[in-house]
Amino acid sequence: MLLLSATVAVLLGTTLGLLIVTVASQRGAAREAFRSQEALITASRLQGSFVQIENGLRGFVASRRERFLEPAEVALDSYPRQLRRLDGLASDEPRQRRTLADLETRIEDYVGLWALPLITLARKDPASARNVVVSNEGRVRLAGIDGALDELATVKREVVRDNAQRADDASTLAIGFGVGGLGLVLVVAAGVAVYLGRSVVRPVREVARATGRVAGGDLSTRVPAQREDELGDLARSFNEMADRLQVNRTELAARTEQLEHSNTELTRSNRELEQFASVTSHDLQAPLVTVAMYAELLERRHAAELGEGLELVAGIRGATGHARTLIRDLLDYSRAGREQPSLEAVPAETVVEHALESLAGAIETAGARVRIDGTLPVVLADAAGLTRVVQNLVGNAVKFVDGRAPEVTIGAQREGAWWRLWVRDNGIGMDPAHAGRIFEPFQRLNGEDAYAGTGIGLAVCERIVESHGGRIWVDSAQGRGSTFSFTLAPAIDHAAAPAPTVAAGR
Amino acid sequence: MRGRPLAVPVGRALAALAVLMLALGGCGEDSSPTPSAQQAQGEPIRIGTKNFTEQYLLGELYAQALRAEGFRVELKRNIGSSEIVHQALVGGGIDLYPEYVGVLLSEVAGVTERPDEDEDAYQLAKELERREGFTLLAQTPFSDQNAIAVLPATAQREGVLELGDLARLRGEVTIGAPPEFASRFEGLEGLEEVYDLRDLRADAMAIGLQYDALDNGQVDAAAVFTTDGRLAEGDYVILEDTRGLFASQRVAPVISQRVLEAKGPRLAETLDALNARLTTSVMREMNAEVDLRDREAADVAAAFLRTRAPGG
Repeated sequence: MLLLSATVAVLLGTTLGLLIVTVASQRGAAREAFRSQEALITASRLQGSFVQIENGLRGFVASRRERFLEPAEVALDSYPRQLRRLDGLASDEPRQRRTLADLETRIEDYVGLWALPLITLARKDPASARNVVVSNEGRVRLAGIDGALDELATVKREVVRDNAQRADDASTLAIGFGVGGLGLVLVVAAGVAVYLGRSVVRPVREVARATGRVAGGDLSTRVPAQREDELGDLARSFNEMADRLQVNRTELAARTEQLEHSNTELTRSNRELEQFASVTSHDLQAPLVTVAMYAELLERRHAAELGEGLELVAGIRGATGHARTLIRDLLDYSRAGREQPSLEAVPAETVVEHALESLAGAIETAGARVRIDGTLPVVLADAAGLTRVVQNLVGNAVKFVDGRAPEVTIGAQREGAWWRLWVRDNGIGMDPAHAGRIFEPFQRLNGEDAYAGTGIGLAVCERIVESHGGRIWVDSAQGRGSTFSFTLAPAIDHAAAPAPTVAAGR
Repeated sequence: MRGRPLAVPVGRALAALAVLMLALGGCGEDSSPTPSAQQAQGEPIRIGTKNFTEQYLLGELYAQALRAEGFRVELKRNIGSSEIVHQALVGGGIDLYPEYVGVLLSEVAGVTERPDEDEDAYQLAKELERREGFTLLAQTPFSDQNAIAVLPATAQREGVLELGDLARLRGEVTIGAPPEFASRFEGLEGLEEVYDLRDLRADAMAIGLQYDALDNGQVDAAAVFTTDGRLAEGDYVILEDTRGLFASQRVAPVISQRVLEAKGPRLAETLDALNARLTTSVMREMNAEVDLRDREAADVAAAFLRTRAPGG
């Protein structure tokens, strides 16, 4: 694996390196070609300079007129620059250096041994200069310079040609290298891919598949884990995980079974209890009704004979009446938990009005003022259940007062996906620490003597609200009134409707 | 596959190595014969020569003798006639060149009334050069005078044996000569002035070609040097200089005093010793080797230096 990666890296590196070398040599070739071209031009200019010098020289010697010398002097002034330029353009290649050195010597000799001495001689001894100038030395030296320049040009042209050839070869080679190297890299990479597929991807895929099977529930799935590398670690980790999952699920299954069992037991006992309560309530009511009827008969027919006993009969009637109320409430409570409410769109307004009508006597007696704050929504509820809840809450509100005229406000507020309906009073309130306890059946915070009731109303309310999926709670403080709130689902689920404005901008 | 791109640097390295070896070889050639490598330091001694065989030989003799002593030498052959070579020396193009004392006086210094004695002429020339910042090293035993030669037939038929006899030739007398002959005192000017010759015309040609021109009848006479190899065979008659127009022409190297001082006494010692050995017969023989037997001046000079080493 490591070896293969290293091989790929080395191959890529070598290919890139060779390409860089080749491209660099191409650039070198181009630069050399440019320099050679410049050198050829400079050489040609230099040649021109010396033709100008020689012609000027001859013209001057023949005519003794200085103006013939002017172009020669210009050329004598400029040739060192041209020579330096040529020197700069020549490469370090030995043949070029040799040729250039030869050229420099020849030029030096032409100028120092011919042109300058001849100019001096011509000014001093024109006749001698004329005789000297007819000799061929100047032309021979000029020809020597031409020859050296030609040689340099030839060398340069050869350099250009060689470079072009070399560049061509290098290009071909580069392409060869590029294609060959990349091909090789591809082959090796393909080999690596196959190897990876065999040795890495496949085990990983096995683990992935196994994970899928585990997720699908087959916890007995295991993967081979003989390898000593990271893949082996992965496989072992997977198997370990599967082991644990399997153990956990076995335990879970056992516990679930237990739970289901106890749940079933509980449900059964609960149902039995409710049946018992219901049956007991009915069974209890019958003798109570009989007792109450007999007591009434005694009162009506034997009032004169009873005398003092009449008070006792009244006591019997009161006790049986209380017992009947208790039984009725118990039945209510039992029923509220047992039956699933039949939900429908119910205008809370109507429900509240209905409840208030049924409480009209109590409200009037208490001198209470009940008002509805704002409008009440349409909720999804069982109308009878909801009426019971409102009756209970408003009934409590007007009941638990400390002498002041009760003020009860009913309102509703949208809270997320729910409507919160609330009933606020200015009554005695309660210690918030006991706020949770009041929804338990037969729990009373105040003495039975102070306020009438069985202590089951709020428990019934809670059962009804919870059977609607909502919840009920109280916000209160001792002596500062209470606000009972309960939540109900809206009849039309506005929250689920798409928000209309946000998308408009786009 | 990898060999090609690597071939460039390898090639370069080989080329560099070759250059290095050449450079080492070149150094060895200059400095190996003697231990006086110190003398090889600094600028090379640039020796110039004029444009004919004897000068080529002298240049080679000087250069080879000096190199054997460890000096670096640049030999610049065939610069031209005395007029231009001396100007090159003055202009700094060369450091020394072999010059004929008579020519130095008459053509370079413009002295036409020359001392009779060679030694006096030499001292005068030396003094004149000294004023210009140059000096003369010891002069040679041989003298290569200017002369006018005719074919033996002409001499016999027309009775031309002396320079003055040229007047006997009918019509215009043409003399095959190098171009400078026309404007030199030891040339047309002197012939006309000293010998009162008229109707002379110089036919300018490269030195050496005047013999052929004479043979072909293209010219009546030829300006020659008395050490010319071609005179050795007796094919030409040298006209007698009865009025002393052509001065003695022993050779002395003219050298820049600055260079002489810079290079130390060994330079003068070497050339003086060499010059002392250059007799007329030696010089004529060497000239003949080159002109008649087509040998290279360098080889002839080398052979001379080899076979007759100082003190050997």
